[in-house]
Amino acid sequence: MKLQSKINIRFLSVTFLVFVIAGVLFYFALGKVIDQNIREMLKSRKAYIILTLQQKSNSIDTIESPDQSIFIKRIIGGKEYSHFSDTLAYDQEEKELIPFRKMTFSIRSGANWYEVSILQSLLESEDFQMVIFYFMSGLFVLVLLSLFLLNHWLSASAWNPFFKSLSILNSWKIGENKAVSFDRTNITEFDQLNRTLESMMQKIQVDFVNLKEFTENASHEIQTPLAIIKSKLEQVLQDQTLSELQHLRIRAAFESAIRLSKLNEALLLLSKIENQQFVELSEVDFCHLIQSRVEYLEELFALKHIDVKVSLDEKVIFNMNPILAEILINNLLSNALRHNVIHGKVIVSSQNNAITISNSGKQAEVDVTRLFHRFVKQTTSSESTGLGLAIANEICKIYQLELKYSYSDEMHHLFLGKMQ
Amino acid sequence: MKILVIEDETVLCETIVSYLEEEGYRCEQAGTLELGIEKVNLYEYDCMLVDIGLPDGSGLALIKELKMNHPETGIIIISAKNSLDDRISGLDLGADDYLTKPFHLPELNSRIKSLLRRRKFEGKQALVMDKITILPDSRLVMVNSEPLQLTKKEFDLLMFFVSNRGRVLTKEAIAEHLWGDFADSADSFDFVYSHIKNLRRKLAEKTNNDYFHNVYGSGYVFNTEVE
Repeated sequence: MKLQSKINIRFLSVTFLVFVIAGVLFYFALGKVIDQNIREMLKSRKAYIILTLQQKSNSIDTIESPDQSIFIKRIIGGKEYSHFSDTLAYDQEEKELIPFRKMTFSIRSGANWYEVSILQSLLESEDFQMVIFYFMSGLFVLVLLSLFLLNHWLSASAWNPFFKSLSILNSWKIGENKAVSFDRTNITEFDQLNRTLESMMQKIQVDFVNLKEFTENASHEIQTPLAIIKSKLEQVLQDQTLSELQHLRIRAAFESAIRLSKLNEALLLLSKIENQQFVELSEVDFCHLIQSRVEYLEELFALKHIDVKVSLDEKVIFNMNPILAEILINNLLSNALRHNVIHGKVIVSSQNNAITISNSGKQAEVDVTRLFHRFVKQTTSSESTGLGLAIANEICKIYQLELKYSYSDEMHHLFLGKMQ
Repeated sequence: MKILVIEDETVLCETIVSYLEEEGYRCEQAGTLELGIEKVNLYEYDCMLVDIGLPDGSGLALIKELKMNHPETGIIIISAKNSLDDRISGLDLGADDYLTKPFHLPELNSRIKSLLRRRKFEGKQALVMDKITILPDSRLVMVNSEPLQLTKKEFDLLMFFVSNRGRVLTKEAIAEHLWGDFADSADSFDFVYSHIKNLRRKLAEKTNNDYFHNVYGSGYVFNTEVE
């Protein structure tokens, strides 16, 4: 959910709640006040009638009721009472039944008892309440609307630095050696955030470069001593007067030195790819490349009795470094060879500017999601460095290519195509 | 044959020199660019091995210098940098070959021999060993004056062994010679084995001699003199 909509929803729902509660309370309070008012009015009229009767000892008939709101009738039996009630009565002016509040009380005039009813129209108070209601509703809508607009404007202006920072973060790539700078915002919190981000990103950048340099330097510096170890061991192996035991011991050291050297070369290659040191670009015809590589590997496939089917009918061309393209294909084909079975098969096909390399083989024991990570190996065999697919994946990444793995019908499939 | 080895890593330099001296070459060493230039200007060499990354400059400068004064000298670049740029600029300047560190000494030996053959005899020199005659330029092998049919890989293999006669060639060195980048592919050793088996059989059929000698299952020696 967007920050703006979240704030909007919170704002509006709280406002709505407050208005509804306040509106209801106000409505009832207003009703109560009006009701009180009418009672007071009726009471004061009652007092006026009683006063009139007592003071002038007038007969009850003399009491005037110009608006015909006082009704007097004679009753039998002498008991004092007074109560309120609601009633409907026909109004001459409005020409309809309208609600009235009625006060009924008994009064004695001389020896006679009368019952007096005083009516007070409720029409005005109802109108009054309606006006208040409409007014309140209007106000409510107005407040909601202005809150909404205010929030909109606030996010556009006050939150603007935040969104700016966000877009800077989004476009930031760790490998790119570009200094990141955030603008001053005049808002303490945002400035604080930006400063923190700035120093954090700088730290990450420096760490990343250091790590990269370390890997590259380490790999590079290891090359020469390794070359010495290898050549010295090779020289010792030349000695044909060595006993078998001596020979085999040196041979084991030699093999390990070779393995280390291969690993090191692969790591160096990886860091070179990551550092984008392969700058030259050209349109690489993958069909042609695969064809020539498969021919080159033909004998190795034949040795395992692997049936290789290459059906590259559709041309596949990627714009990339030709050396990396070759390494990529080498790695994928080696992989198809290495993880194959005797009398297995390899199928290379192309469609929709994508290549699929399938090979028969047992289901991978390693976690498929980590297949393209470094040092993920099926076996601990010395033949494999565990970097082949990691290198392939790294190459794909820099050219926005996608490498996908799947397994079906006892075949491993590696799909190579443009990133979607 | 005189070879100049320009390599700043003393131990590696000495290893190369001692290997090559065993092959009968006369070697001189130079550890810096300055010393290398001095030697190149003073003496003549048949072949020069040069490291690109020298402490006082790039070995590429030396190639330029040498090409001006002694264009007939063969040049092999040995470099830790497996970068295309170095390779291309080195070869553009007139280097004959390029080897990436770390390399197998027999590989270096074989490259030097092939380079010298090309340079000195324009490849027309025939190699004669016992009953075998090899014409490297036309890729022909004759046994007792009869041509021997070899596949491309078998011929490469034979040349590699012939260049390193009497030496133990490890399976790794053989695989790398034949396959380069693919040397670490699975089963490449089986492949080496099967190729050697075929080559051995073909040669044995015609010569009645087994020139190959297995060393404790870890390598092979090709020898035409003993036995």
